[in-house]
Amino acid sequence: MSGSRSAVWDRASASWPGRAVIGLIVPALLGVVWLITAQKGWLPDQLLPSPVAVWQALVDTATSGDLWTNSLISVTRVGEGFAIGAALGLILGTVLGLSRRARELVDPLFLLLAQVPPLGLIPLAILALGIDEAMKVAVIAWASFIPVVLNVKQGVGDVPQSLQELAEVLTFGPWYALTRVVLPAAVPPIFTGLREGLANAWQTMVAAELFASTEGLGYMLALGRQLFQFDMVLAVVLVLGVVGLAVNGTLALVERRLLRWQGQAA
Amino acid sequence: MNKDPRKGFGHGAAVTVIAALAAFAVAGAAAAEPISIRFGYPGVGSDNRPFANGDIVAVAHAGHYIEDEFAGDPDIKIEWTFFRGAGPALNESLASGHLDFASGLGDLPAIVGRSNGLQTRYLLTDKVRDTIYLAVRPESGIERIEDLANHRLSQFKGTNLQLAADRVLAAHGLSERNAKFINLDIGGSLAALTTGSIDGTFGSVELLTLRDRGIVKIAYSTKAEAANFGRHSAIYVTEAFEKQHPELVQRVVDAFVKAARFAADEVNRSAVFELWSKSGYPGAVFAEDFDNERLANRLTPVIDPYVISRYKDLAARVREYGLVRKDIDVDSWFEPKYLDAALKAQHLEHFWPRFDADGGKLTDGEVEKTQVGSR
Amino acid sequence: MSWITLTRARPARSLWPVVRRSVLGLALPALLLVVWQGICVARLLPLYILPSPVAVIARFATELSGGQFGTDVLASLARVLKGFFLGSAAGLSFGVLLGLSRWAERLLAPLFLAYRQIALFAWVPLLSMWFGGGETGKIAFVTLSAFAPVVVNTWRAIRAIPDSLNELGAVLTFDRLDQISLIALPGALPGIVTGVRSALIYAWLATVGAELFLDIAPGMGGRLNEGRDKFEIDLMLVALFVLTGLGLVFSQTAALIERRLVTWRLG
Repeated sequence: MSGSRSAVWDRASASWPGRAVIGLIVPALLGVVWLITAQKGWLPDQLLPSPVAVWQALVDTATSGDLWTNSLISVTRVGEGFAIGAALGLILGTVLGLSRRARELVDPLFLLLAQVPPLGLIPLAILALGIDEAMKVAVIAWASFIPVVLNVKQGVGDVPQSLQELAEVLTFGPWYALTRVVLPAAVPPIFTGLREGLANAWQTMVAAELFASTEGLGYMLALGRQLFQFDMVLAVVLVLGVVGLAVNGTLALVERRLLRWQGQAA
Repeated sequence: MNKDPRKGFGHGAAVTVIAALAAFAVAGAAAAEPISIRFGYPGVGSDNRPFANGDIVAVAHAGHYIEDEFAGDPDIKIEWTFFRGAGPALNESLASGHLDFASGLGDLPAIVGRSNGLQTRYLLTDKVRDTIYLAVRPESGIERIEDLANHRLSQFKGTNLQLAADRVLAAHGLSERNAKFINLDIGGSLAALTTGSIDGTFGSVELLTLRDRGIVKIAYSTKAEAANFGRHSAIYVTEAFEKQHPELVQRVVDAFVKAARFAADEVNRSAVFELWSKSGYPGAVFAEDFDNERLANRLTPVIDPYVISRYKDLAARVREYGLVRKDIDVDSWFEPKYLDAALKAQHLEHFWPRFDADGGKLTDGEVEKTQVGSR
Repeated sequence: MSWITLTRARPARSLWPVVRRSVLGLALPALLLVVWQGICVARLLPLYILPSPVAVIARFATELSGGQFGTDVLASLARVLKGFFLGSAAGLSFGVLLGLSRWAERLLAPLFLAYRQIALFAWVPLLSMWFGGGETGKIAFVTLSAFAPVVVNTWRAIRAIPDSLNELGAVLTFDRLDQISLIALPGALPGIVTGVRSALIYAWLATVGAELFLDIAPGMGGRLNEGRDKFEIDLMLVALFVLTGLGLVFSQTAALIERRLVTWRLG
């Protein structure tokens, strides 16, 4: 009996539509339980807002345009901060990965700076930069910067000596060697760093917006919390998940493309 | 039998894991302990110290009225929690079952909470007709409310400050769309004012000390129109606690009424300001706040038609401003029986004046005859 | 001389490299300190915005002698450890489940991966509502932060165990408990340790966050808040430095434990 049942599962999970359906079973079940709990009122309304209310909140903010505006603002913030932090991180990471002298100079300080919680920096950043975009982008850039530096440094440093010597033998100039040999060899760790940096940037954005904001997804979260509208809070949490998925998915797509292109060029 | 132990592993483990996670979740939402009476206050003193000012609860807390009432009951513990996050944070603790009394909860968070299903009973009033001030940075060039358009202000969303500020703005033809409002708590607002990140904010006596330090000037105050624009707060009990311990509720109300009796009497004016100064602000700012105003004008525990109509009106405004999405039933909220019993027992039925729905006086109160410094 | 040869190791003499490394390593921080002190002496920024390093050190000394600091550090540490252990234990169980059971993986993994997309701090309002803003709420938040890294690493590590090892367990007719304790856990140990180490670091970050966003209570994050509310930048900087130092202790301890565990296992 169990043999034939598991055969069905195995067949279903072999294809990705099948896997998607199976993956949706538990969420769907939870959704039903949620709906029933809310209808029957087994838990007080504030502890668990009804899915209908959450849906309604989603629809309301979508039709009023608030959802799109705030999402765009948050994503833009992350984009700007991440771009700055990752770019600077790539540069510093490469320098550190290549030059032992630089490592000796900077590593101890950097190790210390890496431990500073970005969240703890926010109050200071508010004092220095105000409550505006500048503060948020700066803090997000910082949060992206650290993991990128760490991973790029390691990735570039790990590029085998032999590869570097090969570049020298082929009389590549330093810039050419860097861009054609060293960096491409370090792409996987670079992208690990970028992925971590993006995740950090995203987290910091939400935290910074919870602190002080007039717009953005974190602001909607804070507002929902202050006004005790937890259906709104849940709706924003779900939106954050979807947007997060989109943003991280985009990076993963870029990474795959780059690796494929690199493989073709090799 | 060569059965792969991995198969069929799912069931037992899955149930255990899910049960463990569920148990954890339930434990987190645990109910109240029977021997503690837990009071929450939506605010903190000047450097986050756990003291309040400006209302009856502050006097009750600083003067240990509740503790004295239960001094003879060794198995009853009194716990106070002061919430930096003000009303919204207090509401969260109320919702998760960590509080029994919301003492001094402001009008907006109380209305918002009720609209979202928090089950409380309005026992007695804590203060009414409270003045708010608009503090602005001197360089901002703001002289009047109308000048606020296109400036950056902060607002602690969800507190009765927001509601009072919104109504002031509405009365002057402005709304949250004209000026940019940043959601900041009180500490954040003060810091932002000092560094110039915002141009102004609405607030209370803490702004007066900022003015004394030269950081802001006060551009507007609702003192003249406090009957219309003032903010209010009250003392609530959770329905659960009331059902379980009605006799304790009565004793708590008795203690608050005693404190109110002390606080409203002009004879005690300087003593009251001194009790309030435990929150870290000098007595002089309270004197200024109450300049030309009798203590009993704000510190009255009665539930009269004025209070009821204020809350009805506020509930309607809150709905209108889109801060809540459901209408709320204000009438069934009030539970004056404990208050009435306490007033009767302490012979204070005619101590405070009562007002009708339009603010006109219905009955006189003995407190109006009290004078400063007759002791 | 090509720039590449600059990265090659030089032949070393006994003590000099160590001294040289320390001096070089301290050079940059020392320079920054000097610049900082210089800015303050030259009054380039008002002193209430940027106190001098001397003032910060003085404040640190004051706070230390005040005795409250110890309580704060201990309170923060207690939260980290409680949340970390709870989250890691839950994460380990769930990770083992996903790693060993195909059914569980197919049914639950998509939901878990979707949950992982949601930024951790987005849960602050909801947790605060379900558990209150006090100790329970803070520890719940820290627990949540430690959960996901442990799950992911445990799950992956168990899946990475070669099939041959698992079949060995089948051949030896291991029951489920033996399968877990003798094959799955030891085989996945390095990956599990990585996950646990990650979780410790995330738990620390979450503790700071919890203390900043939830109710006031003893703790280093609370001191940071206090400095912010009272507008005492020296206190803020002191709190930030202590937080950084503690973070350093955590990450180094975690790395040390990881190294020890891995060498012990290999040895």
